[in-house]
Amino acid sequence: MKSPSIIGQPIKRLEDERLLTGQALFVDDVHLPTMLHAAFYRCEYAHARVNSLNLARARALPGVIAVYSAEDLGNYWQRAPLLVPPPPIPHAVFHARTHYPLAKDKVCYAGEPLAVIVAESRYLAEDAAQLIEAGLEPLAAAIDLEQALAAQAPRVHEDLESNLAAHIVQQKGNYQTAKRQAEVVIQRRFHYDRGTAAALENRGIVADWNARSQLMTIWDTTQAPIPIRNGLARMLGLAESQVHVIAPFIGGGFGPKIMMFYSEEMIIPWIALQLQRPVKWIEDRQENFFATTQERGQIHDAEMALTRDGKIIGVSDYFLHDNGAYNPYGLTVPINSQCTLLGSYRVPNYYSEFKAVFTNKPIVTPYRGAGRQHGVFVMERLLDIAAKQLGLDRVEIRRKNLLQPEEFPHNHEIIYQDFAPLIYDSGNYAPALARAAEMIGYEKFIQEEQPRLQAEGRHPGIGIVTYIEGTGIGPYEGARVTVESNGKVSLVTGVGTQGQGHYTSFAQIAAEQLGVEATDVRVVTGDTRQFHWGTGTFASRGAVVAGNACYAAARAVREKILKLAGTILQIPQTDLVLAQGKVFAKNDPTKTITLGDLALRANPLRGAVAPGTEPGLEATAYFGPDRGTTASGVHAMKIEVDPETMQIKILDYVVVHDCGKVLNPMILAGQIMGGVAQGIGNAYYEQLFFDDNGQLMNASFMDYLLPQADNVSRMRTEHFETPSPLNPLGVKGAGEAGAIPVGALFAQAIEDAFPQLDLEIREIPLSPNRLFELLQSAKSRIDDNARE
Amino acid sequence: MRLQDTFTFAGPRELVFELLLNPEVLVRALPGTRTLEKIDETTYQGEAQVRVGPMSGNFTMQVKIIDQHPPERFKMQIEGKSALGFVQGSATVELSQIGPEETAMHYQAEMQIGGKLAIVGQRLLDTVGKSMTKQSLENLSRELEKRLRARQ
Repeated sequence: MKSPSIIGQPIKRLEDERLLTGQALFVDDVHLPTMLHAAFYRCEYAHARVNSLNLARARALPGVIAVYSAEDLGNYWQRAPLLVPPPPIPHAVFHARTHYPLAKDKVCYAGEPLAVIVAESRYLAEDAAQLIEAGLEPLAAAIDLEQALAAQAPRVHEDLESNLAAHIVQQKGNYQTAKRQAEVVIQRRFHYDRGTAAALENRGIVADWNARSQLMTIWDTTQAPIPIRNGLARMLGLAESQVHVIAPFIGGGFGPKIMMFYSEEMIIPWIALQLQRPVKWIEDRQENFFATTQERGQIHDAEMALTRDGKIIGVSDYFLHDNGAYNPYGLTVPINSQCTLLGSYRVPNYYSEFKAVFTNKPIVTPYRGAGRQHGVFVMERLLDIAAKQLGLDRVEIRRKNLLQPEEFPHNHEIIYQDFAPLIYDSGNYAPALARAAEMIGYEKFIQEEQPRLQAEGRHPGIGIVTYIEGTGIGPYEGARVTVESNGKVSLVTGVGTQGQGHYTSFAQIAAEQLGVEATDVRVVTGDTRQFHWGTGTFASRGAVVAGNACYAAARAVREKILKLAGTILQIPQTDLVLAQGKVFAKNDPTKTITLGDLALRANPLRGAVAPGTEPGLEATAYFGPDRGTTASGVHAMKIEVDPETMQIKILDYVVVHDCGKVLNPMILAGQIMGGVAQGIGNAYYEQLFFDDNGQLMNASFMDYLLPQADNVSRMRTEHFETPSPLNPLGVKGAGEAGAIPVGALFAQAIEDAFPQLDLEIREIPLSPNRLFELLQSAKSRIDDNARE
Repeated sequence: MRLQDTFTFAGPRELVFELLLNPEVLVRALPGTRTLEKIDETTYQGEAQVRVGPMSGNFTMQVKIIDQHPPERFKMQIEGKSALGFVQGSATVELSQIGPEETAMHYQAEMQIGGKLAIVGQRLLDTVGKSMTKQSLENLSRELEKRLRARQ
């Protein structure tokens, strides 16, 4: 008798009761006696030399305890560590210029911190910040991505010859040779601009040095508590065991919180050590617009070579990537763009070259999608343009080029962000495309609905795009599973949680192995004293890497349970059943022992623990995949554009998604829908605007438009399960899937809504304003043609 | 931010030119201005309370007159700082006599704005800039009228 499957059940999230009743601890909930509050003095210029910094008036303000500039940090003033070195790609050029805890001689983006004030209250600290007098000499700023590479451009880092941060070429086959056989070559330029993750909770950190226990406790809104612990211990000259990092409940991560080490993260613990008092800093919303990292300025010049019947022969792409002022996160974002561009398709020849560029703008690091959007946008747009030119249907040209099941594992012969070759492990793309087309009613819409609505003078459009998502990369995660003497299970893992439902999914994995209910498993994440090996929550890897570690640990505990129960009950292990919190004989359910009793027996007060065995029903296990696993999916939507206001009404939105074995379909649907909502923001509402001097012009929710409830439609999701052969659970990541293809989908559907115009959308984000401009210029092109 | 327009004063050019550079007049005419002093032949210094939407701040201002050709034209460099951010730029003013008692003032200003003012107040800046200019010019116009009446 096998216990009923718990994996795959739509169990309601176990953490929600705590979250919804206000019992969850967030960093700002931490209040400690004698705690001080910090505020940062930030430079208003995007590029300026710092000639003087007068802190005297700020220091003199009553209630101010200390004010520090870069000079005051002494030896602690070092560049932040380079988090991800460049991948081992031949002839790679990479110049690491990471930020400092505080800027000293020069500031390189508006908002870069110059000083920190510590006071009895945040109000006083902010008041004191206004008393700081900085002698700043403004310099010309490198803002425009293309101009920043010009020879005469102002240099962000004067010790470099130019603003070039990296130059990478990767290729497969030979595009130039292949192009000669092409019957059609499409060549276009594409723009993708910046947005911000706008997590509900801004960043925050509280640090508390306890001199008696010689222990530093840090509450941090980080996605990577263990690397933060390791890094800070090193910087502060403490043992790792002296630093305790807690990443409690976090109101959204989305990537910017995997960035480390932020200036504030480096400074606040150092101050707590200096002053021997707890210190808190909570980012305010306005700071979040420039002090938290952002994403996605790129310009692509791309080319696709095809046969007349629409088969891709090759793709070539040269792009510029906006790094912002520093590059602590290495090349993850542009490498993702480069490696995601190939998408779900068979591309025998690929040439991809990019230059990462320093600009006087806030730092760029991964934000949900992490460069994958750009690749998908370029590829899907090229296919749409090719389809138009060849007179092919959009679904048809995609179907023709999709990788087939027998082509997996599929080696793309280039290096991915995890330094491993880009090999898709498994996939079944064609049925997902067919299913999405069927669910959205593609044929019927094109043949009946669209012409009918057009006849009424309306502007309906349909879009359908595919994408892949490289997920679940290494190096490893670990978990410890323990059966407690009350018969409940404790599960501890090192990753942090920012709303992914880990408390439920991980509980389901352990519960299924241990014959208990998911509610009997108490999960702890993000506390380095509970589990101190691991890397973090990023790259859609929690379920894959930590999930499989939970699985391995639970399997090992299961073995221990059955072994001990077999000895006690005098029954061969193969005749035992583990269910309902106890072990019993298959043939005689009266012969039984509970997990609680077994846990007590495994940890006796008298008698010996035999050599080669361990006390307790506990196991720690790790999982480290050689390389990532590739999830995939198709998004389709129907829209109607209001030609007066340019507002877009989403009539239907369908996601057919394949992330291997589904752990909890309800949590998965939530992940996908949240991602789509963020994707909709990115596609049509959100954009950060900088003026020529690098001033961010819309750093408030008054001007930075997040999608509202009425901009995000209901979605219908369906899941295909093509298990990954790379891990025992067969799972693939899903965290970023919802957000990745939405820009490409919007572009296609909007074009489809104006068939009479020669409208070609080659940029994201769009907005009602921008669409109006694009339509006006498409209309005037038609008028000009008519006149000629 | 760019401001560019023409304003007509009902008075002779010499008088208008004098008013435009008279700190005692300007301190009353420019909205929010609390102090304005001429610290040398070409430099003015002062303080002004400026309100942009929900924000208001006390600016310390410095204005340097360069390239002065009375009563025809002058150029100035403007710098202001406050907790709200900074303003810096330059402006040109040209006066042309279009009738015996009528002077047209063409002005053009190019201002760089940074800090909170720029990032939160962006979409209000144009309106605030224009309305402050309009108020200032109307105040100056009234002052001119007063002086002309006093002369009679």
